[in-house]
Amino acid sequence: MSLRRALAEENRSERTSALLERPRVPAWAMQAAVVGAVLLASLAVAGVLGREPIINRNGWPLVWQFLRAALHPELGRSAVALAIESTFITLAFAVCGTSLALALGLVGGVLSSEVLWRPREPEGGGRRRRRHLGWVTVRALLAVPRAIHEMIWGLFLVNIIGLDPLVAVLAIALPFGAITSKVFGEIFDETPRAAWAALRAAGASELAAFIYGILPQALPELLSYTFYRFECAIRAAALLGLIGAGGLGYQILLSLQSLQYAQIWTFLYALLILGGLTDGWSSFLRRRLQRAGGHVPAWGEPGSRRPSGLLLEPTVRLSLGCAALLIPLSFWFIGGDAGRLFSGKTLRLLGGVLRESWPPRLDAVLLGRLGRLAIDTLAMSILAIALAGVGGLVASFPAAASLAIPGRLFDPERYRRWDYLGGLIVLGAARGLLLFARALSEAIWALLVLFVLFPGVLPGAVALGLYNLGVLGRLMAAVHDNLDPRPLQALAAQGASRGQGFFYGVLPQTLPRCLAYVFYRWEVCIRATVVVGLVGAGGLGRVLNDQLSSFDYRGVVTTLAVLSLLTLLVDLASAAARRRLR
Amino acid sequence: MSGEPLFILRGVRKSFGDFTALADVDLRVAAGEQVALIGPSGAGKSTLIGLLNGTLQPSAGQVRVLGQDLAQLAPRQRRRLQSQLGTIYQQFHLVANLLVIHNVNAGHLGRWSTLRALVSLLWPLEVATAAAALARVGIADKLYQRTGLLSGGEQQRVALARVLVQDPRAILADEPIASLDPERGRELMDLLRELGAQSGKTLVASLHSVEYARSHFGRIVALRGGRVFFDGPAAALTPELVAAIYRIDRPESSRSAAVRHAAETESGRVRAAAEAGAGSEPPEVVDR
Repeated sequence: MSLRRALAEENRSERTSALLERPRVPAWAMQAAVVGAVLLASLAVAGVLGREPIINRNGWPLVWQFLRAALHPELGRSAVALAIESTFITLAFAVCGTSLALALGLVGGVLSSEVLWRPREPEGGGRRRRRHLGWVTVRALLAVPRAIHEMIWGLFLVNIIGLDPLVAVLAIALPFGAITSKVFGEIFDETPRAAWAALRAAGASELAAFIYGILPQALPELLSYTFYRFECAIRAAALLGLIGAGGLGYQILLSLQSLQYAQIWTFLYALLILGGLTDGWSSFLRRRLQRAGGHVPAWGEPGSRRPSGLLLEPTVRLSLGCAALLIPLSFWFIGGDAGRLFSGKTLRLLGGVLRESWPPRLDAVLLGRLGRLAIDTLAMSILAIALAGVGGLVASFPAAASLAIPGRLFDPERYRRWDYLGGLIVLGAARGLLLFARALSEAIWALLVLFVLFPGVLPGAVALGLYNLGVLGRLMAAVHDNLDPRPLQALAAQGASRGQGFFYGVLPQTLPRCLAYVFYRWEVCIRATVVVGLVGAGGLGRVLNDQLSSFDYRGVVTTLAVLSLLTLLVDLASAAARRRLR
Repeated sequence: MSGEPLFILRGVRKSFGDFTALADVDLRVAAGEQVALIGPSGAGKSTLIGLLNGTLQPSAGQVRVLGQDLAQLAPRQRRRLQSQLGTIYQQFHLVANLLVIHNVNAGHLGRWSTLRALVSLLWPLEVATAAAALARVGIADKLYQRTGLLSGGEQQRVALARVLVQDPRAILADEPIASLDPERGRELMDLLRELGAQSGKTLVASLHSVEYARSHFGRIVALRGGRVFFDGPAAALTPELVAAIYRIDRPESSRSAAVRHAAETESGRVRAAAEAGAGSEPPEVVDR
């Protein structure tokens, strides 16, 4: 008699039913119902369920023309020269913006770290309170520039400084500097303090102890985050071109407005190459830095080694050398007029704006309108993240080397050479598509989607969704690549098929992490609704654009307040959802 | 049971890159036998277990399981054969995020269709069998707990319950108690012996502890430097032999460096990494 049957019989005879009780409705069913209801409501808000037409049939021929042009971009001497020049402008914006953000971030990071403000032992109550107050003030000061998207910064700065390359640089540097400050502060706080405490105890000054005891340990992470910020800055720099700052975004907008499809593709390919190179280089370097930083690799991870001297890594040295060259070159190349920043006119305008923006407009008409648009914006972000989450998850499987290439996770000892080649092709295609989706950025997607969809919630959601699909797909692929292979080996050893191994060994491990990324990305999405709104997709961003271009600063303050409230709401919901996933 | 031995290894060699983990291994394990594999770290114990359950393929020689050559089988037949072999591991190899019931039900996968396996993830099937298996290993109340929240000892019991549900012809165990504290380790070894005695299942377990090999197994196979150094009844293993098995000499230590090298260069060679991980600790240390 089989042991299994024996067990079942034993079970039937003396079953304590309390132990067997399963939850009547599984948790996933409840969650699915909630998600389904939210999605349905968002679709209703977006007008997908209504009778109004949402698809502009006249747009299809244009889309077809546009897609066909992908095969023959304009490659004339002048077009290519313009594309190269614009690429360098975008790169220079990103380099200058990142380097200023880094400077801001270092200062702000030190100022906002708990290490600095933590009360010292012999101090009395008064000084303690003052230290705490200082810490809270710095944090609060940093929260404001962070909450405002770089596009809004751009529009605002254009009003004050006028059309100058510095607008793009500052529009990147201010919000990025604030984010970098926060992250750097957190990195400093997470750095082990034993060395710092020992130096302080030995009588070193506050600054000296920080430089010797904290900074060297935090350096790999700081550098790694800086390179990640640079990746983001490239995208932001291209976006800022849309408000007239120059560079690839600007050229794409010009070609799009004059329906020069072949030319658009020249610039799109340039953007793709620039984005692909920075993404690839940055992620390669960050893997190196993580290793150099003493990150303990997962069990069985190949190439596990002891932390080496960070600056001895040739790739790190090469990158730092490039940065040292690029930063002065970029500032020279964009040739902004720094004098203009502090000219009397700028200061006068700034003072005027500040006076004009208080008190915020609070009339019922505006508030009612903003309320409706807030719901639109929320629906847009939800639809966007749903598209990005589902699409990104589907695309992440072929984009993960561990799953696409035979011999990594599946069939470690048995595969044919042709299977291997096929896996490489699938991997390359999937990664290429994801790169394309995120290189275009949400604003350019919005411009394209508006060919075929009437302005409103839906085109914004599709554009945001496509861009975030590219981002999420890459993040999720990394999750699949880092999964623990051991449960899967155990399943394979007992005769489970590939599909079964996937559902029992891969998905349960990676899905929670992937969903956490989806919720995290939702927070980014709600902020980015402004961008697609600015190019005409609807929501609060559109109102903001109107208000900024008509110098209605009191209205701007109200709209920003509504937007901040909405952002806060989404952050809280996302944090709650992510807590449940843990 | 069939007359042919359950496992037959003929002239088996297994290499990772230019490092040879096992060489000239000839071994027969009859149905119902209880075999302990001992030997110093890096001797090839885990590699041998991997060869027995079909995770690894021999570089030379032949591995026959239940009368069939694993290397010659088509994937489907190989999986069917593998479903007759249950393995438990030092690190449990469970999915921490899944409920215990799903990890236990994973024992059905060799029999279940993929669709059925998928349905069970949403709505657990064969709950009674899983509950009985958990009761058998002494953790009946953990059925709907998340596996990652259990203690190490409980997780190893879940892994054992998975094997019970699988109901294989042979149970393989790769350092099953090396991650457990002494008390949990003894309980698990007793449980394994009991299961073997009751159901007459074949049991092959690699162990760090010579004492457990002596007290819980009838036959002991000792590996040293990738070769079979001793193979006989537990009673025949004299203290002098044990000392010879675990003697540390120069080439031995340079060899474990070679294993570490292999682990670094060969991606996915988790076996080799497992062998290198233990370093050169004295064998008396039962629990690490």
